[in-house]
Amino acid sequence: MLAYYVIVPILTAILLYTVRIEKVARIIAIIAQTGMFGFAVYLFALTQDGEIINAIGNYANVMGIVLRADALSAVFVLLTAFVFLIAAFYSFNKQTSKLFWFLLFVWQATLIGIFLTGDLFNVFVLLEIATVTVTVLIMFDRNNRSLYDGMIYMMVNIVIMQFYLFGLGYIYKLTGVMDMYTSAALLNETAVEQLYLPYALLMTFVALKCALIPLFSWLPKAHGTPGAPSVVSAVLSGLHIKSGVYLFLRFQAVFQQVDGSAFFLTVGTVTCIAGFLMAMSQKDIKLILAYHTISQVGLIMIGLNLGGPYSHIGGLYHVINHAAFKAALFLTAGIIEKAYGTRNVYEIKGVLKGMPVVGAVTVMAVLGITGAPFFNGSISKYFIGSGVGMPMSGIMMFINLGTIISFIKYSGILGGKTDRGVTKPGKIQQGSVLVLGLLCLSLGLWGEWFIALLFNNTVHVDRMGYLEKSIIFAVTVAAGYFIFKYFVKGSPLFERIRKIDLSFKAICAAMGIFFITVLLSVSLL
Amino acid sequence: MRYELVEIFSVIMFFISFYGLLVSKSIIKSIVFMVIMESAVIMFFLSLGYRRGIYPPIDGYDYLQDLERVADPLPQALMITAIVIGLSVTAVKIVMLITMFRKYGTTDWETARKKSLE
Repeated sequence: MLAYYVIVPILTAILLYTVRIEKVARIIAIIAQTGMFGFAVYLFALTQDGEIINAIGNYANVMGIVLRADALSAVFVLLTAFVFLIAAFYSFNKQTSKLFWFLLFVWQATLIGIFLTGDLFNVFVLLEIATVTVTVLIMFDRNNRSLYDGMIYMMVNIVIMQFYLFGLGYIYKLTGVMDMYTSAALLNETAVEQLYLPYALLMTFVALKCALIPLFSWLPKAHGTPGAPSVVSAVLSGLHIKSGVYLFLRFQAVFQQVDGSAFFLTVGTVTCIAGFLMAMSQKDIKLILAYHTISQVGLIMIGLNLGGPYSHIGGLYHVINHAAFKAALFLTAGIIEKAYGTRNVYEIKGVLKGMPVVGAVTVMAVLGITGAPFFNGSISKYFIGSGVGMPMSGIMMFINLGTIISFIKYSGILGGKTDRGVTKPGKIQQGSVLVLGLLCLSLGLWGEWFIALLFNNTVHVDRMGYLEKSIIFAVTVAAGYFIFKYFVKGSPLFERIRKIDLSFKAICAAMGIFFITVLLSVSLL
Repeated sequence: MRYELVEIFSVIMFFISFYGLLVSKSIIKSIVFMVIMESAVIMFFLSLGYRRGIYPPIDGYDYLQDLERVADPLPQALMITAIVIGLSVTAVKIVMLITMFRKYGTTDWETARKKSLE
């Protein structure tokens, strides 16, 4: 049954490519996406009773490829179906080609495949397809800039796939299986010294897929390139990057003996801080958002590795929240970019007045990402930081300050008046972003209920603690405004940070350095 | 754990080609080094199925009688998939390079980067 979740989008993609009339193709796409969302909800309901295991070709459990859906993968499949549904509605009235729909559906199939498969080699195959698909989508408009960006994205991701395959070879050598769960059990009995090399190889791969600190440089190119349609940036940032987080969780389960949480906590913290510093220094609205994705993934990594009583669940909830607000921000940025004809954050003014719905959604998403009370970011940040000692909770406050400063810069587009002729966005586009904006609010208002529903975990938000965080938020906003006004604006340091751009050789060198660092840190500590 | 010669050789080849990626200025050379890297990984996988004194599970040898001395066929099956994927991805890379050359007129990483920012 699980194989249909991968086959149906691919068959739909082929069908869409053969349909001649563009309008019919769009309607089929919407129907297919709605159906996929329904199927995903159904799968989610089914996995509440326990995990579903399908062996492809009816080979016995370890012999063939196994598809598994447990509670975690069902949540990710649900998220995938939801984000692609919104993406399909968003692109409904746009001038889209057949190729775009084809690639979008193939991309969805590969992502769902990654979330459902239990076979490590299958992950390799699906990620290679996803890489090629995303590369074509990045270079979709084939302008001057995006060719180079697409080239970097493709080359870097193919190089790292060789690292992954090499690590897989070592796992196969040690265990003789490719199945995640069986190899986890077998690796548990292996001597720990033999695990360091495959662990380092696989974790370098995951770090690049999550864009952790030395390996981030492909992400702003891919997510912020002018050539890619905004809907592609939204899905890349909201969803595609989460496949790295998902694989991190799975590989952690495979290598239970190796403890890399201290290392990834450090890397996550550095990523988080470097991410918002670089976001602050950008002028391009899409690049601000792209660099901010790096920072937020760092925050997710902090949550998953911190080891506080609720940190892990907070990190997982932040995956959902980040998908909601980052998709909303990228989609609204796409509408704004089209309406104003520029991406410079200082040239855009008066979004709230010119486009009230788009402006309101931007406000909601910004409140969500900065962790304002009642919005979704506050709940997950509260859980990541709750019950954690002083150095880390101080760092969390500093990170939130940085997030707020960079979004004070971004919010400059909302107020004021514009003298440009602003084109009105379509109704369906406005509706689809409004759904995301309202989701940001409702994920915050009913946070406990959503966590209980999605992760089957009862948590309670302490009223006093939450109130305290809200007061801290208000103080941080005031502090952030002053820091932005007197220190950040026009500072030569940030001018220099903006020019940081690693070449292909430098990214490869960063991979090597990261690989050696992981190897040394797990084998010596 | 025993290490076969071909296995050690493939590990060395992997890191030599990785060094090649670090130093090559031209995109064509980067693509060539990536192909070498893929071959190293493929060779590593093939070495996993091989031990001295074992037989392939094909006709002409009654392998069901002696399951201890049969080679593991799975790495080869996986590597056929990897070779096919590697071939098609390399084709995509070269097509991209041709498009890039038509636009920028160069195959050099640094020059291409400068041209892209113009």
